[in-house]
Amino acid sequence: MKRGLFLFLSMLFVVAIITGCSSSDSGGDDTSSEGEDTNTEEETEESTDNSEEQVTLDFFQFKVEIADQLEEMIAEYEAENPNIKINLETVGGGADYGAALKAKFASGEEPDIFNNGGFKELELWKEHLADLSDEPWVDNLLPIGKVPMTDTDGKLYGMPVNLEGYGFIYNKDLFEQAGIAEAPTTLTELKEAAQKLEDNGITPFAAGYGEWWVIGQHLLNIPFAQQEDPDTFIEGLYDGSETFIGNEKFEQFKEVIDTEIEYGNDNPITTDYNTQVTLFASGETAMLQQGNWTENMIYEINPDINMAFLPIPLNDESEADRLPVGVPNNWVLNKDSENLDETKAFLNWMVSSEVGQRYITEEFAFIPAFDNIEPTGLGALGQSILEYSKAEQTIPWTWFRWPDGANQEFAAKIQEYASGRIEYSEVVESFQSIWDDMK
Amino acid sequence: MRTEVDVDGAYMEKRKKSDVKAKRMSRIKKILTYAAFVGPALLFFLTIQIVPFIMGVSYSFTSWNGVSSAVEWVGLDNYIKIFTDDSKFFNSFVFTTKFMLAAVFISNIIGFGLALLLNIALKTKNILRTVFFIPNVIGGLLLGFIWQFIFIKGFASVGNLTGLSFFNQPWLGDEVTAFWGIVIVFAWQISGYMMVIYIAALQSVDKNLLDAAKIDGASSVRMLGSIIIPLILPAFTICFFLTISMAFKIFDLNISLTGGGPFNSTESVAINIYQEAFQNNRYGLGSAKSILFFIVVAIFTTVQVMTTKKKEVEA
Repeated sequence: MKRGLFLFLSMLFVVAIITGCSSSDSGGDDTSSEGEDTNTEEETEESTDNSEEQVTLDFFQFKVEIADQLEEMIAEYEAENPNIKINLETVGGGADYGAALKAKFASGEEPDIFNNGGFKELELWKEHLADLSDEPWVDNLLPIGKVPMTDTDGKLYGMPVNLEGYGFIYNKDLFEQAGIAEAPTTLTELKEAAQKLEDNGITPFAAGYGEWWVIGQHLLNIPFAQQEDPDTFIEGLYDGSETFIGNEKFEQFKEVIDTEIEYGNDNPITTDYNTQVTLFASGETAMLQQGNWTENMIYEINPDINMAFLPIPLNDESEADRLPVGVPNNWVLNKDSENLDETKAFLNWMVSSEVGQRYITEEFAFIPAFDNIEPTGLGALGQSILEYSKAEQTIPWTWFRWPDGANQEFAAKIQEYASGRIEYSEVVESFQSIWDDMK
Repeated sequence: MRTEVDVDGAYMEKRKKSDVKAKRMSRIKKILTYAAFVGPALLFFLTIQIVPFIMGVSYSFTSWNGVSSAVEWVGLDNYIKIFTDDSKFFNSFVFTTKFMLAAVFISNIIGFGLALLLNIALKTKNILRTVFFIPNVIGGLLLGFIWQFIFIKGFASVGNLTGLSFFNQPWLGDEVTAFWGIVIVFAWQISGYMMVIYIAALQSVDKNLLDAAKIDGASSVRMLGSIIIPLILPAFTICFFLTISMAFKIFDLNISLTGGGPFNSTESVAINIYQEAFQNNRYGLGSAKSILFFIVVAIFTTVQVMTTKKKEVEA
């Protein structure tokens, strides 16, 4: 008898597991019925036809910096639209977000709103993305914001999250202390400034060579973006008509690395993002190769810091004085979403309503990619980027067009050079072989 | 006469039949009992190990990028590419093998040493056992970040204070210190676990044998070499198996401690596969690599278990 009972129980357990696994499909509906307590599951599923029914949107994003503020903005949207509920989920760190998103799609839990970097990533995900060309906000979108998510057929698939820029952030007070009157905008001036700083006992650079994206993506973007025509250059690399080897800008790039390493902090190879920013913010170094996204971090450590951007100059030409400004990421919509209209409405609300605009500029401290949003609430770095943008002294972000995964391989080679293990000519040669292997 | 035989025969037949019936019943019962015990576990094993494995094998013959709905069959191309044109994968294999050898050696020596130490009557032995086991409870990812801080910030400040050259090396900044950094943290994490297994084995050694040896005048080194170690060889089999497979498949500790850097010198096979599949968006190629990796790990561990098993003896 006992055995029979046991058998029965274990079978029950197995059945429970199987049904437990299979019922996850209806999970989305369950959450929407949270408010209605008396309904059984079947009844809620029937009542989805009802127009007053709650709609749940799954929002999967990667900007950890704004996760809290985004949650607050969503709460305001939900208050305005009581039938909409938005589930925000944030997974940080560029590359891991991609893996998590793939896992979500593979398991069938496709989010309704998510992030996409554009260009190569657009190509990768295009079959899942909704066409946004006819949305009302497109007219106000700055031209620079359209580029990453515009496909070859001219359709627009995403809304830029914001604009960002990077370069050498410099501490104005330390520069003054070292007797540097004018901000250096050419390579020679930069070297002179670094020398002066060092003579005054200040470490010139906080070099974060431990972080692959700092060197393999941002720093290496400079010689790509300083080409006469970066687009054709990259096309040329793909079809073999251009090479890294012997390219003038890549030759000049050596000087930039050499300067940063020579006048940089100790152990650059193990200096990560946090250490790098802390070195600069605490006044130990006078320059930092980073972008305006570090603004809040720096102000938290040192609220009184007096800073602005310098370009990363490849040479002494006047065109060296340009900052790379681009769209770091975009909001995209799942075209197979059951609630596509609601997600479109949400995106539109975010950039057209007063509340949404206020969040973008004041709470997120973003540089908006729209001409109808006035950038307020920007700090010194955002302001500096804006000045360069207005003067049209910008160069593009090209790494979204590089072969997938190449940036990390490039970074490894730059690290190897920075630690003195290989010659610069080998670096350029391996750039070429990495590109050819991964394209 | 005939009727008697008939009756007899019928009786026998009947008996046989009921016998068969009973046997069948008991066999069914047996099968059901097995199913009740093994079924749930088997079901889990099938759905989360075997099915994904088979899917992985089939993906390894495709050029799938991980997202697209079109999956293109490319036959053996992925495998050919790995063997002919992927020095990075080969390098990561060399690193992982070197790491495995160092890690298995060191963590087992420490584990066994601790076990011997804590098997003698120490007052604090229970506390110490817990203390040495605790690192194993902390997740590898977290441990990696903690030790990254220790190596980079902690060691640097100790070096500044004492001037010892050991601490003034660029820890994790070149391939040698990065390699040993991972070995140290791995040994730190796993030795306590090995210690527990060794302690359990040591306690099962028959005291009478040791007493007899003592009376015969055997030194403690001799007792260790000739009695204790041969008797607890099964524990070595288990510990070697565990450390070899764990060291081979190292991922979380590696990715949080060095991230495969500097310049990919500490990139384990698992990280290489992860990057291939999810960052280079070559899921098919990544699957092919993981199948090869599976085969290699399986061969290594089987050979190890077979050789150490052979040496096991009984008292």
